[in-house]
Amino acid sequence: MDALNYFAMSWLSPELLGLTALGTFLGIYVGAIPGLSVTMAVSILISFTFSWDVNYALCLMVGVYMGGVYGGSRTAILLNIPGAPSAIATALDGYPLAKKGLAGEAIGLSTVMSVVGGFVGIIVLALAAPTVSEFAITFQPRDYMMLGVLGIMLVGSLSGSSLARGIFAGALGLLIGTVGLDPMTAEERFTYGVVELWDGINPVAVMIGMFGISEALHQLHHMNKAVVKQKISRIIPKWSDVKKYMPLSLQTSFIGVIVGALPGTGGDIAALMAYDHAKRVTKKPKVPFGEGAKEGLIAPEAANNAAVGGAYIPMLTLGIPGDAVTAVFIGALFIHGLNPGPLLLVEQPHMFWFTVGNLTLANIFVLIFGLTGIKLFSKIVECPKGVLIPLIFLLSIVGAYAINNAVTDIWWMLAFGVFGYFMRLYAFPVGPVILGVILSSLTDENWRRAILSERGSVSDLFINLFHSPLSTVLFSVIVLILFTQSPIWTKWLRAKIFRPSH
Amino acid sequence: MKKTTITLLAALSLSSTLSFAAYPNKDVQGIIQWGAGGSTDTVMRSISPHVEKELGTDIILTNKTGGVGAIATKYVNAKKADGYTLLMGAENPQMYKILGLSDIDYSDMIAINVLARGTPIIVANNDAPFNTMSELIEYTKAHPGEVKFGSTGAGGLTSIVTAMLDSQVKLDYISIPYNGDGPALTALQGGAIDVMPAVLGATIEQIKAGRMKAISLVDVESNKLLPNLAPITDALPGMKSYLPWGPFFGVFVKKGTPEDAVEKLQAAFQKAAYNKDFIDLMQKRGFTIMNISGEEADYFLEAYRSTSSWLVHDAGFSKFSPEEFGIRKP
Amino acid sequence: MSSQSPLIKTRKPGERLFCFLLVMGSTYLFWQAYNISGLSSLSSPGAFPLASAAVMVLASCVAFLNTLKSPAAEGVRFVYHCFPPVVAIIMALILVYSIVLDSLGFILSSFAFLFISIQFLYRRSVLTTLTITLLSLIVVYIVFRLVFQVVLPEGIVPEREILSAIESFVEIVILWML
Repeated sequence: MDALNYFAMSWLSPELLGLTALGTFLGIYVGAIPGLSVTMAVSILISFTFSWDVNYALCLMVGVYMGGVYGGSRTAILLNIPGAPSAIATALDGYPLAKKGLAGEAIGLSTVMSVVGGFVGIIVLALAAPTVSEFAITFQPRDYMMLGVLGIMLVGSLSGSSLARGIFAGALGLLIGTVGLDPMTAEERFTYGVVELWDGINPVAVMIGMFGISEALHQLHHMNKAVVKQKISRIIPKWSDVKKYMPLSLQTSFIGVIVGALPGTGGDIAALMAYDHAKRVTKKPKVPFGEGAKEGLIAPEAANNAAVGGAYIPMLTLGIPGDAVTAVFIGALFIHGLNPGPLLLVEQPHMFWFTVGNLTLANIFVLIFGLTGIKLFSKIVECPKGVLIPLIFLLSIVGAYAINNAVTDIWWMLAFGVFGYFMRLYAFPVGPVILGVILSSLTDENWRRAILSERGSVSDLFINLFHSPLSTVLFSVIVLILFTQSPIWTKWLRAKIFRPSH
Repeated sequence: MKKTTITLLAALSLSSTLSFAAYPNKDVQGIIQWGAGGSTDTVMRSISPHVEKELGTDIILTNKTGGVGAIATKYVNAKKADGYTLLMGAENPQMYKILGLSDIDYSDMIAINVLARGTPIIVANNDAPFNTMSELIEYTKAHPGEVKFGSTGAGGLTSIVTAMLDSQVKLDYISIPYNGDGPALTALQGGAIDVMPAVLGATIEQIKAGRMKAISLVDVESNKLLPNLAPITDALPGMKSYLPWGPFFGVFVKKGTPEDAVEKLQAAFQKAAYNKDFIDLMQKRGFTIMNISGEEADYFLEAYRSTSSWLVHDAGFSKFSPEEFGIRKP
Repeated sequence: MSSQSPLIKTRKPGERLFCFLLVMGSTYLFWQAYNISGLSSLSSPGAFPLASAAVMVLASCVAFLNTLKSPAAEGVRFVYHCFPPVVAIIMALILVYSIVLDSLGFILSSFAFLFISIQFLYRRSVLTTLTITLLSLIVVYIVFRLVFQVVLPEGIVPEREILSAIESFVEIVILWML
């Protein structure tokens, strides 16, 4: 019964309980503010909790992590500025809901589904951590490359009215992602000798610009239009809704756990893949995707919170971080004198169930804090535009600066904001740009590693691919999607058949 | 009586903060060259609280990544030389000049403290068909172009260790670059690469758990963390000329910083690095505590720069010759 | 992303030009990508950028050709519907703000930016604007600078000196109260 004791540690001690609650509460706000990342908050907490007992420090940090991943959806829904890259997909359908005055309902639903996703992640962590982590590290460069390709195929889902424009935007994103010193050969790519460009263009800067700034600039067109009154009577989602969307959110949660557990991918990619999955399995959405489909809101939200549990899987069992935040957690454990690594659970047997219990507790607090603050949050959108828009600009600028304490990121954010304004104006979708930026290095680096491993031979790469069951499955999935369900394909067909008659 | 003491104390503290002469009279900013969660970040975050106590002021730690640390280096050198902006970095700047990354390296700054040094080690996937350095060399010679070596980009630890190896034996292997040693070591466990040089601290837990095997220690003698592992000089005695060599962590300020600030910082860091918690932490991870400053630090930094620069230059991936910067041959 | 009908029927003023510029830009980037490592090998650093740029060129050409076919939208004027003066003014204001941010410091430049833009867009009394500006600036400063220790550009305001003076002042007050 040791496990149960460890599990309940943070539940029974008032201090630990309080710290978890505080962490979760803070995390929601950290997550909601673009530019403030959970990674950053947790590293600040390392210094702050330096002299504390390690369990106290961990409670606070786990809370911030869980709350932060969830919090990103807030500003995505309300202002179309995703608080973090993992909330990009949430903005696609969440913001249209807010525009219709349904922000309260959208936040309520996303909260419940985030918590569902969180629990799925925790359950998989608790029951299958060793299996999943052994599976996760067998992913070879070619498998990561195929995951990247799978992700890039989402461009079809995000394209909106014109596929060519969507593909352009996606390719632009991929190109933006390659700017900087090539991490593999230190070759300069599109840097023109500018040192500030060596590290590339930060995806968060592109994201804040393309989503936040360009949207705020467009809002200036409608200064005299009255702000949409938000209906806040319904916050706790209808039981029938929860029941209806449960299968989808469970499916996308599993996507989230696996993608989160892979050391090379995190919640952002998980959420985008979940969005694509939702779009493919939902045959007849009540509202079209991109215009406020609830399926498009809950899928990424369930997936990114499930990715939290997923990211802990390789961290606790092998000492390999599942994402950037768990990398900082490993640093924190080290500073507190523990030995994060494959032996952590042998030397510190309490750590596993303590973390599971703590994550569960934090997830419950997400539900509580998530559902209580909605009224106040929804009011933000009702704030007069003349005040709200300048504040969005200010927040975007500070947020861009905070990414890496550099003014350069502000410049990029503004440049992409203005460019995004014209893209939106002329019906170019901006979603694929961010998608491309996020997936660029994953695909580029792993493609090159895969081909290097085969000494430059494409045919060897292709043949060896079928020696591994995992690679074969991934490859088949890509082919299957491409030729049966892919929007790219169907759109092309549609364009062929319904070509505008002359 | 009590009241007067307090008044006196208060007046004292007020006057000390208002007289701008004494360093430090405000928060100090520490710029970390590498990202959150990395080893430089971890080391700096674990020493800073001890330094804060010595200095009596807060150190605000900021991660400023990019250009293998060149952006942070440039940033600190663009600030005022007042001792309120510290550069917390690793060994990378010592290679900037010959790689053409920047015209500033540590020789253009004042060393506050070189805290610790790591030891490189060569590790391999458990299924790799070799267990020792000589077996590795034999196997690679027998199977040219098959063994996959992990690397972390030009100028990094792996590239320098492989340059050392290349100077001793000609080996034909595939080099697969990764974005830092974390991802590369994960790939090693998954079998995407077979062998990789890395810093002992990053691999020790995995080796102890039997998740990867240690092939050789890149040093002249065994380490007490892995007493049974033979040093590389047993197999390749010619390596002696480069060793001991290893990546390090240090704290630096801009040239021209007032002497009293430098002295206070040096004293604070020196005392903090003597802290038992810090020493335990570093030793458990296989880092050798250096805790040196002044001439001693300059000597160490210069030796590092000359060994590594010439190795990289002879291996053929430097942009400029070390001679151009007056870096002497080791 | 856009809520328009599935097929683009009309084009807005400037759309053709925009698409043409995209074609030009993509071509330039393609050339730049080619310069990274040419067509040397599939694993070269330039391979992926080159492929992306090639797709960009193709897709932007298709988009441009489509705009040639579609008729201009009626009753839509560039200056009124696409790029109204208010957007241009705000863009200019943000540009100035981001330029002076580093030299003037966060507090002064943000204050000026917020005050001017709120006054311009909201058009209430100076006092209202001033209150909103100050309040939001204080909140942002507390959250970013004090809680999350993002050291915002200090510029000409000796922030850290002021902060430490305030700190010691508070200490004295606390000591007095004991």
